[in-house]
Amino acid sequence: MSTRQTGAVPTVTPLRIAGDTHVGKVRENNEDSLVVDPAIGLLAVFDGMGGANAGDIASQTARDFVRTFVTARRGTLAPKPLLEGAILGACAAVYEAGMRQKELHGMGTTAVACLVVDSKHVVIGHVGDSRAYLLRGGRLQALTKDHTIVEELVQRGLLNAEEAERHPYKNILSRNLGSRPDTRVDLLELTLEAGDRLLLCSDGLYGYASAEAIQYILGSGDAPEHVARDLIELALRGGGGDNVTTIIVEAAAPARTSTQVVRTSGATAWWQMRGRFMQAAKERGLAGNPIVRGLPPDEALELVGSSLCQAVFHDLEKSTGVNVWTFAQNLAGGWFEQGGDWGSVRGMIDILGMSARTVVEEIRVQDASLGFLLDVAVSRALVVAELALGGLLAERLRKMDTDLIEISTALHETLDGGMTAGSGAAGRRGEIDAPAASDSQDGEGGGQFVDRATIPFMRLERAVTSSDVSVDLLDAIKKTITIASARLPPRGSDLVKQILGSVESIATEGSGNFATAVLAARELYGTRSVDESGVMPLFDALEQARVLVASSVQQIQTTDANRARCLRAVSSAHQRLVGATTGLVLEAVAPISEKLREAQAVTSELRSQVATAERRRADLERRFATTIDPSAPWGSRGSTEW
Amino acid sequence: MADYSTEGELTESVRVLRDEVLDTVEHGDRDPPGAEVFDALLRALSIGGESVPGLDLALHDAVSRRLAWGDTEEALLADAELVFDRLMIAVERAFRDPTDQMVVVEAATLVAVTVARVVSLAAVARASRDRAARLREELAQRQLHDVLGKQKQVISRLETDTDFSDLSDDQG
Repeated sequence: MSTRQTGAVPTVTPLRIAGDTHVGKVRENNEDSLVVDPAIGLLAVFDGMGGANAGDIASQTARDFVRTFVTARRGTLAPKPLLEGAILGACAAVYEAGMRQKELHGMGTTAVACLVVDSKHVVIGHVGDSRAYLLRGGRLQALTKDHTIVEELVQRGLLNAEEAERHPYKNILSRNLGSRPDTRVDLLELTLEAGDRLLLCSDGLYGYASAEAIQYILGSGDAPEHVARDLIELALRGGGGDNVTTIIVEAAAPARTSTQVVRTSGATAWWQMRGRFMQAAKERGLAGNPIVRGLPPDEALELVGSSLCQAVFHDLEKSTGVNVWTFAQNLAGGWFEQGGDWGSVRGMIDILGMSARTVVEEIRVQDASLGFLLDVAVSRALVVAELALGGLLAERLRKMDTDLIEISTALHETLDGGMTAGSGAAGRRGEIDAPAASDSQDGEGGGQFVDRATIPFMRLERAVTSSDVSVDLLDAIKKTITIASARLPPRGSDLVKQILGSVESIATEGSGNFATAVLAARELYGTRSVDESGVMPLFDALEQARVLVASSVQQIQTTDANRARCLRAVSSAHQRLVGATTGLVLEAVAPISEKLREAQAVTSELRSQVATAERRRADLERRFATTIDPSAPWGSRGSTEW
Repeated sequence: MADYSTEGELTESVRVLRDEVLDTVEHGDRDPPGAEVFDALLRALSIGGESVPGLDLALHDAVSRRLAWGDTEEALLADAELVFDRLMIAVERAFRDPTDQMVVVEAATLVAVTVARVVSLAAVARASRDRAARLREELAQRQLHDVLGKQKQVISRLETDTDFSDLSDDQG
């Protein structure tokens, strides 16, 4: 179901404006609201928050107030106080609406708004973590600083950027509209230059798309309405875990954008130099690469060199990367299918890359500015090729990972089967309490895991949710975990994601969750070194998952009582997983202590042997000396050497 | 129970549950098992769950003390788990307002993760000490092997000499 809303695309003023919003892939409601009103020169994004539909009410209340306020006072107030007054008034309006209805209590919204003064001047105001960006000269810069706890700690020098990125409270707002009757608005006056592009967006965009990708699309030269839509597509491809809203403002275009220059003159210059490219590739030994071994050199050159040349040309012409991407995928994919090695692909891409640079350098000699633009464009094409190769390698790794998981699952099922067959599920408690008896029955192999309670302090009968758990509760648990997973950053959070999945399994399984918790903990623990650097990341991830779950449960649409039940179940499951994981740490530590005890026993045995030998030596020495000359004093009866 | 307007009031209401959660009647004047976990929970509630380092330090101190008295890490974790379970039951019964329940459950989970982290740190530190001690034991074993080797050579020579002496004696 598409829930996209599109703002009006105005035709007035030299500014071109467009806006778009989308519910995303995870949420059911779109709590974002936007204003694109060229008649009064107002553009704004609001990102609402609060349970029970309060988020969309908050953002809509703020949107309506700001629009009405600006319409009424556009001619009487100066732009800056006008925008500030509108946002402060919206804050009071949301707060009052929240106070009037108990279920809306505590709702709030972010705001980032742009008031167009004239074709060259705008005022931007913001509260919260919705952002404004400026693209100038191909470079993207943030115009706003998020009003989050973590960002303020960074501003005060208490956290660095890297710590901030991993901080569990990075999404907690320090300012918003509605939680209090008033707030502080950050305001900025900006003078636009020809070709500038402004982007207003909610965190659903930058949370799921990298700054590089946003810069690339914003600078593509496409019409603002296409850019607004493409940015949303980008966020959806990045996971789409949140509502996403974008507004694009484009200042009067300069004579010709760099993209247009590359599309026409650059592509033509490249194509005219294709013969030089082929020659450079030949000189660098393209025909000798193992991928084309067996082909006549000219055919090899034609097959690979000419194909890349065409792909780059088409990508330059259309400002895309799809042709080079496809080329790299076909080249490496077929080779890997035959069991080919990575080194040959790497070598081939290097030859092609260096040959392309040779061509670009020669174009630069003839036309420096065109050469510069072409250099950037060709470099981008080569990065695309590298990305395609990276994707192929990742796919191979994923397949291997899937195979390993299947093997592991089959192994666990075999073990569980052995456990059930041994004495039945009902007898599991007794089995673990009486390991000796079970050992004698099951022998070695599959029975080992079952018979030894590796995590002895965990009580088996403990239920996280009861067996008659309601559908509502199960649904709430699943939604909480889905939201928590969606709020993870796209990279570097695999462990937290895995933890969230495990917590969901344990929480929804009901009473029989001992084995699930232990198996999940084993998956998490994997093969870690038994030291601080090996174990602590696990607990950091568990803590991060806890914080995520606690905040995500507030966002699900359900009754307060069900929300509390959901948090209890999920927290119990989390605690169970934490307990099992700690048990595994203790299990990993145990052999080290055991080996120390063994070493101490060996040392003790050796000391005893040395003492025995010493007694024997003394005895023999006495006998020897007595035998040789009984009358001689002890000291002169002979000696032994050590 | 009413909706608690301040963290202090909520903390006091949880404190009331201490006897029930820790089963203090069973243990008389002594600190019942898991008391350090319950105290940490009260601390977490009173600070609004904002300061993890403080909680960490206090728990680290309490856990170290119990380990020094000879309790095992497993016993500590078992106590923590028991406290968590009893608390979940007590909270559901004692707090009518779901928001209050959620605040306590969230704090209890924070404490559970912190206890696990502190116990794991203690176990890992112990493992590191044990590794070093084992190295020392192995060095001592190498020296003892050398001594034992030399002793055996001397004993062997002495046995030969003594046998020879015994033989000459017999012949004489």
